[in-house]
Amino acid sequence: MNTPALLEGLRFVDTFFPSGGYAFSSGLEAAVQGGAVKTSDQLTKYVEDLLRGGMSRREVLAVKQANRAASKGSLESAVHIDRVLEATKLGRESRMASRQMGKQVIRVAADQIRAKSILNEYRDEVEADRAPGHLAVTFGLTMGSCGWSPEETAGAFLYQTAVGFISSAMRLSPIGQHEGQRILGEWLPLIERISREVDLDTAMSSWSPIQDIYAMRHGSLEWRLFRS
Amino acid sequence: MAIQTGRKQRTSRNAGTSPKRKPAGKRTPSSRKKAPGRFATELVGRVGELKLNYTKLDQRTVISHSYFTTPWKLLPPIYLDDTGAAYTLLVNPSGGLVGGDHLSIDMTVEQGAHVLISAPSANRVYRTEGPVSDQHVVIAVEPNAILEWFPEHTIPFAGSRFRQSLRATVGPGATLFLWDALASGRIAREERWAFTDLENEILITTANGNSLLERYVLDPATDLGTVGLAEEWDYVASFYVVNDALAAEVWTGLESTIAALLDTKPGAVLGGVSTPPVPGLAVKLLARTAPDLLAMMEALWAAAREAVLKLPPISLRKY
Repeated sequence: MNTPALLEGLRFVDTFFPSGGYAFSSGLEAAVQGGAVKTSDQLTKYVEDLLRGGMSRREVLAVKQANRAASKGSLESAVHIDRVLEATKLGRESRMASRQMGKQVIRVAADQIRAKSILNEYRDEVEADRAPGHLAVTFGLTMGSCGWSPEETAGAFLYQTAVGFISSAMRLSPIGQHEGQRILGEWLPLIERISREVDLDTAMSSWSPIQDIYAMRHGSLEWRLFRS
Repeated sequence: MAIQTGRKQRTSRNAGTSPKRKPAGKRTPSSRKKAPGRFATELVGRVGELKLNYTKLDQRTVISHSYFTTPWKLLPPIYLDDTGAAYTLLVNPSGGLVGGDHLSIDMTVEQGAHVLISAPSANRVYRTEGPVSDQHVVIAVEPNAILEWFPEHTIPFAGSRFRQSLRATVGPGATLFLWDALASGRIAREERWAFTDLENEILITTANGNSLLERYVLDPATDLGTVGLAEEWDYVASFYVVNDALAAEVWTGLESTIAALLDTKPGAVLGGVSTPPVPGLAVKLLARTAPDLLAMMEALWAAAREAVLKLPPISLRKY
């Protein structure tokens, strides 16, 4: 990857990017309140399990496929991936969070990366409600348009997700910054492996029943710091 | 938003019986090409088709067309109450699926009909030396029809390979209750999550083209296909309630009721409920034991019947 492509893409991975991700815990808040995640070891296993079983063949697959759609300029493929992903999002809060963050990404990308017409076209699809605009898809399209490969984009997506979990965990439990960095470092080999292993031509699937259930339960918590 | 999943159904052959029943009218059994002069006896009892067409006739739902091949057997519907709903047991007397079995169900619930489906026992999937056991279900619930689909859970034995899909289309004003449950294995033998691989897909599409898709692929020998944290549990289940004509308050009320029910067995059942991308509710749950699973299924079913159908719980008279 050349340096301009790296820098262009980094903006969308950086926590400074205004996706609103800080407001969502992806069910972690419900898991903490439910007692499933009380220690950093439990957090590690909970997130690893989600990345491996829940997100690898779903969000990561969508990221890589959307990245490929960007490189081919295939709007139709991107919309299809987005719709399949929408169908698999069984929980309301997770679905809405993914769509809200995805919409932010495509709006900024379409406005600022003007050399790639697919970003403008996709933003129009999302704004007209012809495509859901899930984060995995808009992120994949954007990073593909920046010149990142499918594997690099998948790695960046998972890293961003992992950082989000650490950030949420630091607000929900007594995990400090140093511990957070240690956990993040432990996840890097898994992130690299998932980014590489997910086959672009596989069917979308997901298995993370525990995390799915806690994400569903979040809406009925008595008190909440997060919106998911 | 309509989606295509890209996976083709397997076809089945036409070597079955239909005692005192005509084959389905417009839908003829599929055929499999055989070598000239050779009868594919190796497929008998291993490629089973079940086709059912339900029609509302006067105040009752009846089977208007049926067709089945071994190992499927068809019993006449039972009427458990005075609603006229036809209760059918999916009977596979062979005891389960072995490697290479391909079973299919093609069911249509015509406009205004009301059908309950269950099975007399769990769906056992036996160890295989290689070939996969397949079961594919295609359901059409036509406008204002009702289908309550509550099969017994699937038990994948150690070394088994199972691939299942259920694709349902739900017409305007129609109602679908769909229960799907999986056991970790033969738990009494301490055989848990020991199958070779397992794929399960549920695709529900409503009249406006929106879809709900649950698909998981478990191949524990691979890095991305492990059972993971769910290994601590012995049963995993999903329950979907779909209807595109109900007021939002109905779903809000039912969601609250179900959320409360899911909290009645802390430690024994962990569950969540939410609104999926089609009009209705999606429930996912984990249970420690079969009695816990069954009790929760009955409670959820009763709550959905009361809220959506305005009907009391029904006893299937199986236990």
